[in-house]
Amino acid sequence: MIGSKGSLNADHCEKEKVVFKKITLEKLGDLVSALKEKGPLYAPVRDGKAVNFQKITKTADVTLDFYNTVFSPKFVFFPQTEDLIRYTLQKEGAQAEPVPIAASPSVILGVRPCDAKSFEIMDRHFLGAGIIDPYWKNRRDNTVVIGYAFDPAAPPDPADFYNTVGIHAADTEGSDVFMVRKDGELLLKGITKKGESLLKGLAVLDAASAQDEAFFDETIRKDRGVKTRFTEITDTAIAAKLVGSFEKQEIWEEMTASCIGCGTCTFVCPTCYCFDINDETLFRKGARKRFWDACMFTDFTLEASGHNPRPRIFQRYRQKVCHKYSYHVTKYGCISCVGCGRCTRSCPVNIDIFSIVEKVANL
Amino acid sequence: MQNPYIPMPVEVVNIVTEVDTNDIKTFRFAFVNKEDEERFQYLPGQFAELSILGKGESPIGIASSPTQKGYIEFTVQRVANLSGGIVTAALHDLEVGARMGVRGPLGNSWPIEYLEGKNVVVVGGGFAFTTLRSLIHYMLKEENRSRFGDINVIYGARTPGLLCYKEELAAWEKRKDIRMHVTVDKRDETWTGREGFVPTVCREIAPSAENSVAVICGPPVMIRFTLPVFFELGFSKENIYTSLEMRMKCGIGKCGRCNVGEKYVCKDGPVFSLAELDTLTREY
Repeated sequence: MIGSKGSLNADHCEKEKVVFKKITLEKLGDLVSALKEKGPLYAPVRDGKAVNFQKITKTADVTLDFYNTVFSPKFVFFPQTEDLIRYTLQKEGAQAEPVPIAASPSVILGVRPCDAKSFEIMDRHFLGAGIIDPYWKNRRDNTVVIGYAFDPAAPPDPADFYNTVGIHAADTEGSDVFMVRKDGELLLKGITKKGESLLKGLAVLDAASAQDEAFFDETIRKDRGVKTRFTEITDTAIAAKLVGSFEKQEIWEEMTASCIGCGTCTFVCPTCYCFDINDETLFRKGARKRFWDACMFTDFTLEASGHNPRPRIFQRYRQKVCHKYSYHVTKYGCISCVGCGRCTRSCPVNIDIFSIVEKVANL
Repeated sequence: MQNPYIPMPVEVVNIVTEVDTNDIKTFRFAFVNKEDEERFQYLPGQFAELSILGKGESPIGIASSPTQKGYIEFTVQRVANLSGGIVTAALHDLEVGARMGVRGPLGNSWPIEYLEGKNVVVVGGGFAFTTLRSLIHYMLKEENRSRFGDINVIYGARTPGLLCYKEELAAWEKRKDIRMHVTVDKRDETWTGREGFVPTVCREIAPSAENSVAVICGPPVMIRFTLPVFFELGFSKENIYTSLEMRMKCGIGKCGRCNVGEKYVCKDGPVFSLAELDTLTREY
């Protein structure tokens, strides 16, 4: 199970009046417009075959007909590239200005339960341990997450395995507002104070009935039964198993033999947070930037001396799996994986991380 | 909130070329802003990110001691090659008066509290002596000296010309409260001191393991041959400390690069006892 008491639970709404609203799907555009007025809105947008979260400029772009996005919504808090300092190089040194951290309140609409949970896992790393990352903190504090239950009628994607890490298809944890689809309607319930106050300020919403509330609760109850895979893994057991398997090189080589080290799995992952910091200069103007990076790349640990502690792919893949399912458990008390299945769906050589974890669990 | 990714401005106030190959220099920086100097409270063994805009950042051990007020020093080797070294090359091209940035102090330190009341054996090889130099300065400071027992220093380089901090070594040789054993792998006509590899010298001197801690920093080959000597002398793994190197970026345990097992070398290290290293996954 992923740690049960996240930080958001503290301001989970008490027994007092719950804020419960609804809107018909035909009026989705009105809801989107109303949310857009509150600040930048990120929501799922269809682009060809893929659906991805984007900053919304046109209300009509938003779709709620999707299974899950190709990229995770982590970029809202942790963009793929971001300027930390902008500078101009001069003869007598550099003129430099730190880039202010944008703090406008924003909303993410339509986040699947596994992704909502991923934000809480990332909080433990960026906010919960040692120095606080000001970029993550600022955006996290100013963003309302509107979660969106998986459709219980549609079968789960075979790559998913969120149930095995303790997340349900209609899990409200990690969301500020949670959304369930009922025929032609969307039911929205406030989960945190932040979510409740957002809902209260949206005049486009109608009040929901007791019947709606019963449907909402029933969906959540029923969705606990949706199984994606069938091996239950527990944090501490898998953490210990992985440490034990570390030196069994032949097993790791065999399991990762087809990996080409492209790093796609880490870029689509909602809980991969490794980054690089580099300076990019063009004609004396430039910026110190941070970029997503990946432990799957050869040069990730390559030192200036030429020494590389992880020159081979199986070593890097083993690092990825051990980091997510073992080191993260020891360090932060939970697995750093939400079972969203993105890495498996996007892998060009069909490696399934859960099969690897399963294999190690059964060693 | 102080942004941990933004460096503090410093000015290069002195540059010393340490070795006859000219590729190792000690840079002395003064903080441009007084409040940054006060914020930069460090202990021997910690490191900082040296920042040159347009080039990048490089994690380097602090070579000065917090007992030396008004400046910080870093001894840096120029390692420009295909896999990196952009920052160190740019640093070596700087002149006195140049402005750049420092981000830190970062990481843990040599175990100062643990060393108190104990004899300390300092073992260094080549230019990895930098944070050990910081430690020696710290322990030798009048108000600190009585907190530590006997201090033995074994320091070696390949040739006499490759020894760093030559004037300080000579000054320490003259003192009664520290025993210096400086050695070179291969002597030349200028050298009247000891000749021999660091592990061999350690065996000859044979410091007692009784109430003693060994603090070792050097190239991997030196460490590989030195450790068995200390085990033979009866030093436990809890009483041997070393400092790790690894590629780093953020220096604050966020970017994931220096992750080994459940540790981040930048935040949980770089200083570890051998007992602690034994619990990490065997990757290095």
